[in-house]
Amino acid sequence: MVDELELLKKDWQKQEAHLPKLTKKDLYPMLLKKSSSIVKWIFLISMAEFAFWIFMAFGLKFDSESVSNVENALGDTEIISTVIHFSALIFFMAWFYKNYKKIESTDSPHILMRNILNTRKTVKYYIWFNIIFLMVGSTAAYALVVKRSPDTIAVESPMLAGLAFVAIMAVFIGGLLLFYRLIYGILLRRLKGNYEELKKLEI
Amino acid sequence: MDKAQQEKFVTLLEENQNIVHKICRLYTNNQDQHNDLFQEITIQLWRAFPKFRGDSKFSTWMYRVGLNTAITLYRKSKRTVTTQDFDSVMFRISSEEYDDTIEQQLKLMYSAVKELNDIEKALVFLYLEDKNYREISETMGISEVNARVKMNRVKGKLKKILNP
Repeated sequence: MVDELELLKKDWQKQEAHLPKLTKKDLYPMLLKKSSSIVKWIFLISMAEFAFWIFMAFGLKFDSESVSNVENALGDTEIISTVIHFSALIFFMAWFYKNYKKIESTDSPHILMRNILNTRKTVKYYIWFNIIFLMVGSTAAYALVVKRSPDTIAVESPMLAGLAFVAIMAVFIGGLLLFYRLIYGILLRRLKGNYEELKKLEI
Repeated sequence: MDKAQQEKFVTLLEENQNIVHKICRLYTNNQDQHNDLFQEITIQLWRAFPKFRGDSKFSTWMYRVGLNTAITLYRKSKRTVTTQDFDSVMFRISSEEYDDTIEQQLKLMYSAVKELNDIEKALVFLYLEDKNYREISETMGISEVNARVKMNRVKGKLKKILNP
């Protein structure tokens, strides 16, 4: 086997004569091109995620009678939840940025992969925070509306209304989780595999 | 970065481009992917260039950034227009120097290397580039002992692929 590898090594070193030779004229334009690395994709997708949740939390305001009834029923609770959400957003974005800045292609492969995965993990925590916040918040809001302004709920049977609420939540959260699994499954599968492989060789 | 830096970088890259081409050949399956990866490695090298202080050789530094890009950062495009595949590109042996058996053996070896995972390929690549275990461990960020152990395992794996 060793002999075969030595044979391969000799042949490998001979290939230099056959490799393409790019000139400076070919190389200069390459410096101006944009990267399409996984880090860039993670950055763009993460930004879109932050934007999506900002939109969900602050942009999605309906102006109707039933919404103002809900707002009345919630009272100060809505302001408190907005403050919590804003603080969390700032915290997670700062954390994400800090991790993102750590990514350097000159680090060892192991550190580089760990930093990329940590950056991704920050966004993952943010998504979980949002999902849990959404579940707890919606349930609390629903309970408050039932208690303070029951007329807002159009469905007669409280049992049916409760079931409809749970079903809507389940579909929404299930859809989100599936979406993330698909996106990051595609994006990170290879990286995770290589990270695990390299972790086995850790010093 | 100023023009002088750019000129210096492009000159160094032109002189050492073989390293990048060889990484591309090991990690891609066709000419389009080869060009894409070459482009991405060039961008990553250029971005990291201000941090290159010259305390190591430019080529040594290139191995790390190049392998990092191939293993971690690069996402293979879906383009499948095959112009040259790995075997036909790598397998350039002049017939007067080798007989058929050796040719066949080398062909099998190259296919076996192609079947290794990304990390194993990186180790074999550095080995084929005649790097010692200290250099391999520095480039990969693992201990010298682990580099040696893993390399032995890779040799075993290649043997298994060649003699199933």
